[in-house]
Amino acid sequence: MAYKPSLRQKSQPLDMELDIRPVMNLMVVLIPLLIASAEWVKIGSIEINVPPSKDVGASGPNENQNQIIENELKLGLKIAITSDGFTIGNSQTLLSNEEGAGPTVPLKTDASYDYDVLKQKLIEIKKAITGKGFKDSDRAVLTASPGIEYQVIISVMDNLQTYTDDAGEQQLLFPQVNFGSIIQ
Amino acid sequence: MAFQPSKSKRHLEPEQGSLNMNSMMDMMTIILLFLLKSFSTEGALVTPSETLRLPESMQGEKPKKELSVSIAKQVILVNDVPVIDVATIDKNQMLIMPLADRLAEYARQEKQLEIDVGKEFTHQVNIQGDDKTAFEVLFKVMFTCSKSDFYKMRLLTIKKG
Repeated sequence: MAYKPSLRQKSQPLDMELDIRPVMNLMVVLIPLLIASAEWVKIGSIEINVPPSKDVGASGPNENQNQIIENELKLGLKIAITSDGFTIGNSQTLLSNEEGAGPTVPLKTDASYDYDVLKQKLIEIKKAITGKGFKDSDRAVLTASPGIEYQVIISVMDNLQTYTDDAGEQQLLFPQVNFGSIIQ
Repeated sequence: MAFQPSKSKRHLEPEQGSLNMNSMMDMMTIILLFLLKSFSTEGALVTPSETLRLPESMQGEKPKKELSVSIAKQVILVNDVPVIDVATIDKNQMLIMPLADRLAEYARQEKQLEIDVGKEFTHQVNIQGDDKTAFEVLFKVMFTCSKSDFYKMRLLTIKKG
């Protein structure tokens, strides 16, 4: 049997405002602190692996090694950046453009680099070599004329390492990027 | 001529009102959340300046604090100490001698630390280049780094998107 609620204890509802000043004080202190330590620019880092050998940067001895081990399938993909555009090739051949001469991916009409076409070509190459047993199917050597700007090189590396396939997934293209000697 | 003060308003009670803090609290909470999201305990690794504007990139992991070699527009710095002017780099030589010397000194210190207190020598170096740096200079700096025992290089970029 439930008790009947007491009629005597009808106290007035307590009318009191919450004192939010301490919270405000806290906010006023916290906000400048967080502004000071906020990360306004996101910094990224791209890793480059250089073998810790004595022959770093010298392409001569490496090419000799390639000739010694001939039964290994090596692609040796090279991308050269010049002031005319990008040239894709390896030690045997250079890819030509539609006109049959000049860089593989020439500059766009407004004299800027054509990263989209470069990416298309690289995806074609990647698809063509996948499963053929190339030992260095993840590797590409990047080289450029002396005066090429750093931003261009980074943008090429952006387009070189990954791509988004038709299903919208991120796929690896040539994640291992090495730098080759300068074209003189 | 000034108006005569209103007699009826003189005996008005001062109005009792309290400031409504609710909306301000809402705003503060949102700002606080936003700032907490962009909070970083690492501190500023790089201070962008006019002479060192990092290139933009879509990818890249979070950088760690390591020895930094900066290629600004005019000068090359190691851990924020100027080493050599970009203009005075020898065109015919791959190795940048003053930079190599400075890096060798750092490598020696790191190796000594490894022996003394067991702090591992990571061989890592962060390269911060200005986006207009010529490939020639960048390549020489990278070559010098790899020759001076810092062969694990990371290029720092500004992430966009």
